Parts: sequence; structure tokens; C-alpha cells
Amino acid sequence: MNELKTRDAVQSRREFLRSFLRGALLVGLAGLGVRTLLGRRCQAASGSERMKLCKGCPDVAFCSSAVLSAGRKVWQLDPSKCTQCGRCATHCVLQSSAVKCVHRPAQCGYCRLCFGFFQPGATILNSAAENQICPTGAIRRKFVEEPYYEYTIDESLCIGCGRCVKGCSAFGNGSLVLQVRHDRCVNCNECSIARDCPSDAFRQVSATTPYLLKPGAESVAL
Amino acid sequence: MASRGIFQGEPRGRSVLPAVLIVLVGVLISSAVLFWWRGTLSGVTTFRRIPLPGETAGDVQPAVVTEAPVRIGETFTRYDGVPSQAPGSWPAFRGTRHDNLAPASEKLADSWPVGGPPRLWSIPLGEGYAGPAIRNGCAYVLDYDGAAGADALRCFSMEDGCEVWRRSYKVKIKRNHGISRTVPAVTDRYVVTIGPRCHVMCADAVTGDFKWGLDLEREWGVEVPMWYTGQCPLIEGAQVVLGVGGKVLLAGVDCETGKVVWETPNLRKWKMSHSSVMPMEFAGKKMYLYCAVGGIVGVSAEAQDAGTVLWETDQWTVPVVAPTPVPVGDGRFWITSGYGAGSALFQIVKEGERFSVKLLRKVDKKLFACEQHTPVFYQGYLYTVLPADAGAMRKQAVCMEPDGRVVWTSGAAERFGLGPFMVADGKLLILDDDGMLTMIRASPEGYQKLAQARVLDGKEAWAPLALADGRLLVRDFGTMRCLDVRK
Repeated sequence: MNELKTRDAVQSRREFLRSFLRGALLVGLAGLGVRTLLGRRCQAASGSERMKLCKGCPDVAFCSSAVLSAGRKVWQLDPSKCTQCGRCATHCVLQSSAVKCVHRPAQCGYCRLCFGFFQPGATILNSAAENQICPTGAIRRKFVEEPYYEYTIDESLCIGCGRCVKGCSAFGNGSLVLQVRHDRCVNCNECSIARDCPSDAFRQVSATTPYLLKPGAESVAL
Repeated sequence: MASRGIFQGEPRGRSVLPAVLIVLVGVLISSAVLFWWRGTLSGVTTFRRIPLPGETAGDVQPAVVTEAPVRIGETFTRYDGVPSQAPGSWPAFRGTRHDNLAPASEKLADSWPVGGPPRLWSIPLGEGYAGPAIRNGCAYVLDYDGAAGADALRCFSMEDGCEVWRRSYKVKIKRNHGISRTVPAVTDRYVVTIGPRCHVMCADAVTGDFKWGLDLEREWGVEVPMWYTGQCPLIEGAQVVLGVGGKVLLAGVDCETGKVVWETPNLRKWKMSHSSVMPMEFAGKKMYLYCAVGGIVGVSAEAQDAGTVLWETDQWTVPVVAPTPVPVGDGRFWITSGYGAGSALFQIVKEGERFSVKLLRKVDKKLFACEQHTPVFYQGYLYTVLPADAGAMRKQAVCMEPDGRVVWTSGAAERFGLGPFMVADGKLLILDDDGMLTMIRASPEGYQKLAQARVLDGKEAWAPLALADGRLLVRDFGTMRCLDVRK
């Protein structure tokens, strides 16, 4: 009787180990499959200019925009036509707008006096709110080394009013542009900003190359 | 026997203590000499960077930099170029009379052949916007030699563009919207330059021999303007007149010796702008006008009280000023600027022996302004090109009466940019950003285009124009060309 009990206990432990190993193998295979599925790198985030417009979205499965849907069209704003009228901030169905200021560091002059950052006529060049042109303080200014300053956009604060873009376009290199950000845009059939854009700057572009950059405003995948 | 300290006996104590003192004094003197030597010869300096957001000034540790003092004029090279025999000159920024008007002897063709005015020669330059001055068959440019890391005063033959000589000095300059951006001033004897980092150099205009140099940062604590120096030197008689903006506001320097002849104290701590000093005469008094960052000042240009402040105003306090004041007669002058500033008309007033100045009116940027160049006052009318923030009028050419009434604009189809413009033979020559040269009638009767041609292929063709004997010098970011625009 005791011998049988011992045998059963041994069989039970073996069965348990077998089951455990089977389960672990299945979990491992499932994980590998999911990793393979999710592991396709996002082509939109690895464009030549690598400006990471769709930031924080390295994997296809996490892409919340229509960027990767080949054959689809998405709305975009042509910077060469944009007059920074301010309607992008107020006419989008989203609150806040899907249009954001995008900075292209490769074209930036890194100026101490940046007209995309400072109010015209600002005589004291520090980050005090009264000196800034951005109504929400969405532009960060950081000293690099003489004579250079770095500017970055906090998109969570940007409302797409375009005041900084106007200043940069008029007096600077034009490194600031307004763009529809496709991690926010819900891609309405009829874009409500496009409907009221006074300069007809909105158009639909391929979802695989959803951003328009000056000069020539050819669409690019970023 | 009473103790006398550690040394027993008077003679021994007397002999050692002085020796110790001598050694200590020697060490102190040696340290002082070493400190002086490192501080002056090797240029060891410390700087404290600007605190980042969230930091206080105390959080920032000073950093040591070992930048050697600039040895202005240290290098000379002679080349094969031979000065031209062609007459005519354009000896400084805005020409002989500092008004951007060519002499009456200059006669321009009324139209150009297909392809534009004939190109006589073309040479590459270091990146920037420095314009040329012309005298005695030579064109002088203060270039920046990126390979050598040096400011280079280059003398070219007006005949073929071949270099005659080069006087240079090493100075490290980082690209900041280009590097070079000033025009030399040339007389028969001297050529004077101001480099991007406020190094003033005087050389013999013919041989290139070095005369003297002046580092405005070291001499007067000048703060180098944003995007580097844009001020062009002014030679009046035997002196070069400089807008300084450090410990002194203006200064006159003897061209032969480099000795400072007069200084105007900078009591209000105004800073150097990109504007150049403008000579003017009112009520029998010669004066220099200078628009600094902080205000505008008029100082005496006469020997007995040179540099004395006659009047000043802080009613023009824009952070960036590139244009020079434009006198329009009767003691009035216009000042303008870009970046949203617009323009203003001032009136100099003399009451008894005292001068003062009052603001007559301000004009919005959408009516009259200029960002980089100075409006031209020709036959009673002002001509300019509006900046990019002038709304519907942006980048249009404008003709305006001196009292501020706009006469005409070039229209929406005719826009230009930040490039230079000048008047010659009754014609207004305008160069746009991309090197398109346009010739229009300089007349209040309306905008009338005479000719247009692309004369440069590069970008940012912003350098001031220079014209002598019908040869027009134009340049963009990296190329200077000589065009034949004669009748």
C-alpha cells in the first residue's frame, strides 16, 4: 500500500513536471509569435530625415495613426501655402488641435534671438513668459554653447496657432512648420480645418508619406 | 639668559628672516608674472555659461578656455593679380557719400540682353554676406577663410577678379547665419575693416602692409552683436569712426597710427548694433549719427569737440538694428528696422547752442520698413523693400515721400526679399534673395520695370552692391560676380 502511494506520488510529480514544461513551452512559443508579430519596425519612424514625427511608436502594432495604411489618404498641411492664420488652432474637431508645430533642427539657425520664440521687440532675451511668442509656453529654449541655443516643441502644450511659425518664416530659416500630427488626427472625411483654410493649404496625401516639408513641400515618410 | 625665540643669538636671527622674506616675495612676484603671462600671452580666460532653466547663476561653474589673443594682420600673401586701370570708385558701405547713390557719371544700359548683363568674372568666397568696396582698380572684401579659420582682407583686380594680395589673421568663428557681413572702407592710403568678432584692421590700400589692429572686445569690452558684426567702418578725413557700445559709445581712431583720438563715454550702456555710423550736417554743425541698441545719438564731428554728445534719444529701442539712419534734409532723418519695428522720422532741433531731437512720427512695418538694408533717399523720395512681415505688402518695393506718405508699391506680383538695392543713373537696382537682379525706374510716377535677370545661382544674395565704372559687383552666400551694366 505504501509502495503504491509512493509510486502515485512519483507519477504525480512527473505529471506535474510534464504539464509545467508543456505549459512553459506553449507560453514561450506564444510569446515568440507575438514578438514576431509586433516586432516589425515602423517604417514611418525610420525615414531619411529621422525627425520622429510619430514619436514613441516604434512598433507597427502600437501605431495609432493611419500612417502605415498603404493606399489610404490622410490630411496634411502644405507649409509653402500656409499663412499661419490661426484657424488650425480653432477649427479642428479635436480639443486641442491635431495640428502642431514641428521643428526641423537640421534647418534651424540655433539663434540666441529666435523670432519663433521671442515676441517682436523683446529686449531682454530670457524665457520670461512676457517675452515668449507662444501663448502656451510650448517651446523650450536651452543654451548649448556660444552662440547657439536649442529649441524644442512640447506637443502636449502646442495648440497649433502658428505664431512661432510666422516669426520663424518671416525672419528665420523656416525650420518651424505646422503639420497635422497623425498620432492625433482622426482623419475625418472632410477635414474641418481644410474646409475653412483661407489659403487652401490642406490636401490629402498618401498615408505612407504623410508629412509635407518645405521647400517644394514634397511628402515624406518620417 | 632670556630666550630669543627659536634662534639663539641676534646675528643668526637677522640673517635668516630676511632670506625667508626674500624667497616669499620672489615666489609672489613669480606667481604674478606667470599669471600675467598666461592671462595675456596665452589668452587663458574663464567664462561662465548662461544658467539653464531651473539653475541659478551659482550652479554654473566657470569653464576655462584657452583661446589665444587674435594677432590682427599677422599673415600676408601676394598673388598674381594686377589692379585694373578702370576709373571710378565705391570706397565704402553705401558709396562715396554714404547714400547708396552712384555718381552722375555712371550711365547704365536701359535694358539687358537675354541672359542678363554680361558677366565679366566670378570668384568663390567664404560663406557670408560681406560686400566689396572699390578703389583704384581693386575690389576689397573682408572674407572669412574657413579652411584657414581666418578673417581675410582680400584685394581683387577689377579687371579679371584675380587676387592681388591677402592680409589675414586667425580667428575662430562658428557659423551663425553665415560669417562675414561687413564692407571695408578704402581711401588712397588706407583700407579699414571690421571683422565678425569686432577686430578692426587697417592696412595700406596699395601694398597691403599692416598698419594697426584693434580688438574692440578687449579694448572696450564690446559685446559682439548677435549674428556677428554688421557695422561697416566709416573713414572721415584721417580718422576711422566706429560705433563701439562697450565702455565707449563712439570713437575716432587715427588711420595712420591706430591711436584713439576721441571717445564718447557710453553712460547709458547702449550696445553695438549692426547699423553703421552716418555723417550729417545740421545748422552748420557736423555730426555723426549712430543708432545703437538702446537708442540713437548724435555726436560732434568737429575737431574742437569731437565725440561730444549733441543729442540722444531712447525712442528707438529695438533689439536688432541693421539699417543706418537716412538724413532727408532740414535736420530730419528716418530710421527703420525689420523684425516688426517699422520706421520712425526724427527731427534734430537747435535752440541756442543746444541740440535736441524729437520724434515726429512712427510708421507701421506694413507701410515702410527694411530689415537688413538702408532705404535710399533719391530726388526727394525714399525707396525701400518691405520685410517679410509686412502682411499683404511683404517683400514689395515701395516709394515714399519723406513725410511718410506712400507713393507706390511694386504690387503683389513683384516681390523681392532681403537683398540689397541702390540707385544709379535714375534706376533702382534690386537684388532678391535668390540672385534675381531687377532694374526699375527710380521715379515717383510709378513702378516701372526695365529689366530683370538672374545673375547669381546661390542663396541669400544679401551683400550690399558696389558699382564703379559701370561694373556692378554682386554676391550671394558663396560667390561674387562682376557684371557689365554700362550703357
